[in-house]
Amino acid sequence: MKVVADRERCEGHGLCADTAPEVYELDDDAIVVLVHEIVPPQLERKAEGGARVCPVAALRVEA
Amino acid sequence: MRDVVVVGGSIAALSAVETLRMEDFDGRITVLSDEDLPPYTRVPLSKGVLAGSETADDVVLAPLSDAVDLHLRTPATGLDTGNQLVLTPAGPVPYDGLVVATGARARRIGTANQAERVLRSCDDGLRLRDSLGRASAVLIVGGGYLGMEIASTACALGRDVTVVDLAPPLDRLLGTAVGGHVRSVAERAGVRFVLTRGGVRLLGTPFPSAVETADGQRLEADLVVSAVGDVPNVEWLAGSGLPVAGGVLVDERCRVSPQVVAAGDVTVLTTGDGALTRIPSWTNAVEQARAAAKALLRGEDAPVYRPSRYSWTEQFGLDVKMVGSGDPQGEPAVLDGSLDAGSALLAWPDAAAPQTVVAVNHPTPPAKLKRLLKPVTLGALVC
Repeated sequence: MKVVADRERCEGHGLCADTAPEVYELDDDAIVVLVHEIVPPQLERKAEGGARVCPVAALRVEA
Repeated sequence: MRDVVVVGGSIAALSAVETLRMEDFDGRITVLSDEDLPPYTRVPLSKGVLAGSETADDVVLAPLSDAVDLHLRTPATGLDTGNQLVLTPAGPVPYDGLVVATGARARRIGTANQAERVLRSCDDGLRLRDSLGRASAVLIVGGGYLGMEIASTACALGRDVTVVDLAPPLDRLLGTAVGGHVRSVAERAGVRFVLTRGGVRLLGTPFPSAVETADGQRLEADLVVSAVGDVPNVEWLAGSGLPVAGGVLVDERCRVSPQVVAAGDVTVLTTGDGALTRIPSWTNAVEQARAAAKALLRGEDAPVYRPSRYSWTEQFGLDVKMVGSGDPQGEPAVLDGSLDAGSALLAWPDAAAPQTVVAVNHPTPPAKLKRLLKPVTLGALVC
């Protein structure tokens, strides 16, 4: 599984990082940074959960 | 518990479903949504969607897994708690656990023969986008976050924008210091504010084309938009015996009755001093739904819900993020930067024990903003 982050859309609300800190972090400008290029299988559910709570739909999960 | 029904099709419903599965609930989950679209975010509707730069595809959230039975265009019309049935036009749906997440709808102030323009659903957003494309003068009734975001988008599209409200827009939400700052930026961008203590009446049918203030002033526009708050969708619960008081009344674990929990914009919470409050925000919908799902499965053993009180607005080039109790009044303590310089981190009532922190175009992540708050004890929101 891969997550695609649209850093232009990201507004830095950090709900992804609150939900799945193993997958998402915020940089110094509070913009999302992906911890893994390919999400490890054991983190896939958390990655999906973190993507789903993004209020600006800046995160897309690709199989 | 083997059969959970979630009524609602937005982020609270989605978060509840996800939490049920994360908590290893392996029974059946049925989601009843009255929407045409799978769950989407409303946040971009007043911005990218209204501006025409985003479509419905851009706002739809990551889909639910196949282990969930999602029924779109299926409104709940009634609830029979005795027989544990949700009533729908397609027939009754049995449950042994129920999540009420029917959200809210736009409040309207027009008459029955007026096609009042509001912005709540994706459809509303697409319709308003088209109307905005044909308008040159836009009048927005209501200067809360939504009204002001619509004003910002309309202004950026070159429209002549007026916002009319009972009180100075945003002061009630952001306090006078930040509210006044945002309004001054909006005025420089060309927005006109009209205050009318007595409210307005919409004129024109089917589409309102003017408003009349209580003191007889008439304001005309090509497009009149109402952004005057929201109303919880509780009518389907009439006669169910569930406690409704301007919303579904939940306890400190988001429970309504032993088999029923509720979350999101449909709910009313009790504060520490016993007053009732609503927190109609994205963050609350997500976090309250998680708490509600846990309470449905674990009852008294589930954690008490403590809202994180995070909200934000994006308008007129300003990114405003707020944590803590709303409506901060008086002059803030400046933790960093300044409003005049364009970027500021502000705290109320003082820097030593902030109860509210607001970041304006300041790159502090919300998690850090929350850590700046001092825990509230007296009069805290317990639910």
